[in-house]
Amino acid sequence: MAADNLPTEFDVVILGTGLAESVIAAACSRVGQRVLHIDRRNYYAGNWASFTFNGLLAWIQEYKEQQKATDSDEGWREKLEEGEEPLLLNSVDTSISNLQVFCYASEEPEEEEEEVATPVTIPTLQNPAPPTEEGDTQEHQVEGERAQEEQTTPTEGDTAQTGEPALPNPEVKKRRITYAKILKEGRRFNIDLVSKLLYSQGSLVNLLIKSNVSRYAEFKNISRILTYRNGKVEQVPCSRADVFGSKQLTVVEKRMLMKFLTFCLDYEQHPEEYLDFTERSFWEFLQTKKLTENLQHFVLHSIAMVTPGTHTGEGLRATQHFLRCLGRYGNTPFLFPLYGMGEIPQCFCRMCAVFGGIYCLRHSVQCLVLDKESGRCKAVIDTCGQRISCSHFVVEEGYIREEQRRGVAYRQISRAVLITDRSLLPSETEQQISLLIELCSSSMTCMPGTYLVHLTCPSSGTAQEDLAPVVSRLFTEPTSAEEQGEVGSEKPTLLWVLYFNMRDSSGVDKSSYSLPSNVYLCTGPDPALGSEHAITLAETVFQQLLPDEEFCPPAPNPEDIVYDGEVPQGEGAGFGEPVQPEINEEEQITESEQDNEGSQTDVAAQIPTPAPPTEE
Amino acid sequence: MNVLCLFAGPGLILGEIPIFAMLLSMEDYDYLFKIVLIGNAGVGKTCLVRRFTQGLFPPGQGATIGVDFMIKTVEIKGQKIKLQIWDTAGQERFRSITQSYYRSANALILTYDITCEDSFRCLPEWLREIEQYANNKVVTVLVGNKIDLAERREVSRQRAEEFSEAQSMHYLETSAKESDNVEKLFLDLACELIREAKQNALVNNEASPMPGEGKTISYLNCCSFS
Repeated sequence: MAADNLPTEFDVVILGTGLAESVIAAACSRVGQRVLHIDRRNYYAGNWASFTFNGLLAWIQEYKEQQKATDSDEGWREKLEEGEEPLLLNSVDTSISNLQVFCYASEEPEEEEEEVATPVTIPTLQNPAPPTEEGDTQEHQVEGERAQEEQTTPTEGDTAQTGEPALPNPEVKKRRITYAKILKEGRRFNIDLVSKLLYSQGSLVNLLIKSNVSRYAEFKNISRILTYRNGKVEQVPCSRADVFGSKQLTVVEKRMLMKFLTFCLDYEQHPEEYLDFTERSFWEFLQTKKLTENLQHFVLHSIAMVTPGTHTGEGLRATQHFLRCLGRYGNTPFLFPLYGMGEIPQCFCRMCAVFGGIYCLRHSVQCLVLDKESGRCKAVIDTCGQRISCSHFVVEEGYIREEQRRGVAYRQISRAVLITDRSLLPSETEQQISLLIELCSSSMTCMPGTYLVHLTCPSSGTAQEDLAPVVSRLFTEPTSAEEQGEVGSEKPTLLWVLYFNMRDSSGVDKSSYSLPSNVYLCTGPDPALGSEHAITLAETVFQQLLPDEEFCPPAPNPEDIVYDGEVPQGEGAGFGEPVQPEINEEEQITESEQDNEGSQTDVAAQIPTPAPPTEE
Repeated sequence: MNVLCLFAGPGLILGEIPIFAMLLSMEDYDYLFKIVLIGNAGVGKTCLVRRFTQGLFPPGQGATIGVDFMIKTVEIKGQKIKLQIWDTAGQERFRSITQSYYRSANALILTYDITCEDSFRCLPEWLREIEQYANNKVVTVLVGNKIDLAERREVSRQRAEEFSEAQSMHYLETSAKESDNVEKLFLDLACELIREAKQNALVNNEASPMPGEGKTISYLNCCSFS
């Protein structure tokens, strides 16, 4: 099938399969544009991808080797015609840096029998019984918790964490989960490169619903939000039920909190409450609201999730957004896609393909063909040297060469991925501006008996410098655990840790790049918890591309299409020989008239009128 | 049933889930299964689906644009089984199927063309993808299509049977054109899935969710709530 050549004429060619690119692909294809969507990698979603454990190891390897450039081939030159000039693209991705891996899990070869014999073994290794830890009883809920760490400067002078974690000591014995086990169960992991959640009233969820792309994925609720305060991890009461059920809050506090949250829900109606503070910080505002210190902490860090210096207006907006998201699907405002965030871009790609988009991974573009006169991009030359004409070209930022992005100042995101042996459970993080998401195995992102923890923050140094202090505060490195005899530590034990930095191009202005007017840039993931930025970007690009078209109108419901196709056909689909016990064809006649806003009709029209069934 | 309209639009609001769950229990089927077709381009996947769901052959060029999956409800031993049959949307052409396509499939139909050696040789590659991305409880059937072109056969039945046995898959030869074994394929699969589902219902107290256990944002795929 490699022999199969790509078609050579498209309306839109899209390079890169990150979230924004994929949304644009789906949107264009949906309204009838001919879309070619390619990615140089052999996986979907670029820096938004999720990997199995083994897939992640391969990814690490690839970036450590700093992928060699392969564009010595000058064959594209002869594809250029009179009056055209090339604009070369990058063939190497440099958006990932400072990769560091620490393995704490025992490297001993896995020996099943011995393992069973080990007294400390959790009896879940083979048999995926529910994690038995106390707090885990919310059945079937992602026990994903997100910790809001304090955003105050780390004044506690944590010199213990010199950012130089003890070297991995492979001597740790009798860990319940060995490295070999993790490798063996590697496919049960789906490790996100970007750690994000979906705000249940956020633009991504709304887009998923509006476009019907949501049918390609499954979601779970985040079950609780934790916060770290005074050395303790506490659950943040965020819903009404939580507040009233909370054991940490006094009756008076409960009343105060409810009153304040009720105010935030429609704060615009009560300008007198906050107008004096518009120029001042949200933190100062909170202090005047008769909230105890405890509550101020909850509201600032765990509900509004802003820094103390944030302006009052923004803090109120964030609080309101949080509250509005609450209760839509559960007791916290967040959803998480099963199998990881990397599924989401793929869902949009599927939608694009369903409407005729052509997909090709492991395929890239060497250069754009620019018309000298207009300066516009009229075609691309792919990595097979084939010329493909297009009216628009959408590209992920990482493919752009240095020459086109002079003076672009990037930020960085610091990331840590941890595999641990138990939940932070009653406990959580503090300090710094990082986000922490803990996922259990029922989110289909890690093997039973382990937890996957993601930490994210805007970088001030390397990922390890930024995040190792948080990690050592919340987790135990097995070396020290051993000294304590393992029992004493209530903190989860680290099994495997990865640090890396990812380039954050989300804040860069398009004008910083020198690109043709019909080339559209999609920046990579930002460090925020939601995906608002990518969705807004996709919609903006789409509107520039096709100003008169609707952005992602609902795709027709397959049930309606079948209905239309089958009506005239009656029962005669010809269940010939009685192969099976009695079979009756049940026409899929859904009486429901799903409001697909008429879109079902235009697609139904493309279905050929069914020929009379051929009876044998 | 018309209350379902609520969920197709963007207006999901607080407190809908309970109504929603109630509605699902009123759905007019006993089981819903997601069946996914894979295999090289041109082996007749779409033809199989069209033949089964609509009795059509050939399905007509371009007719699949905008069609995500096909649905057919069948009755087996008095139980209504709704089959949701997904096609590749052409992504197999350049070996670029999204992983999410495999997720939450109850069954996979791995198809090759008996008149095309190459499509048979690619099977191990497909199996690797299945192993990577599909649920490990997925039921897989190997299908050799186009038996109406027997005179051009390149892959012997015995070879295919040996292969499928080694991989512990069911094996069936079909002709979408002549409608040979197409009903049987899907109905056998449905029977098998019911058997599995009943078994799982008995022993299903594990932590890892079954396909379909998560919630879709809109109402589709939510069979597991009932």
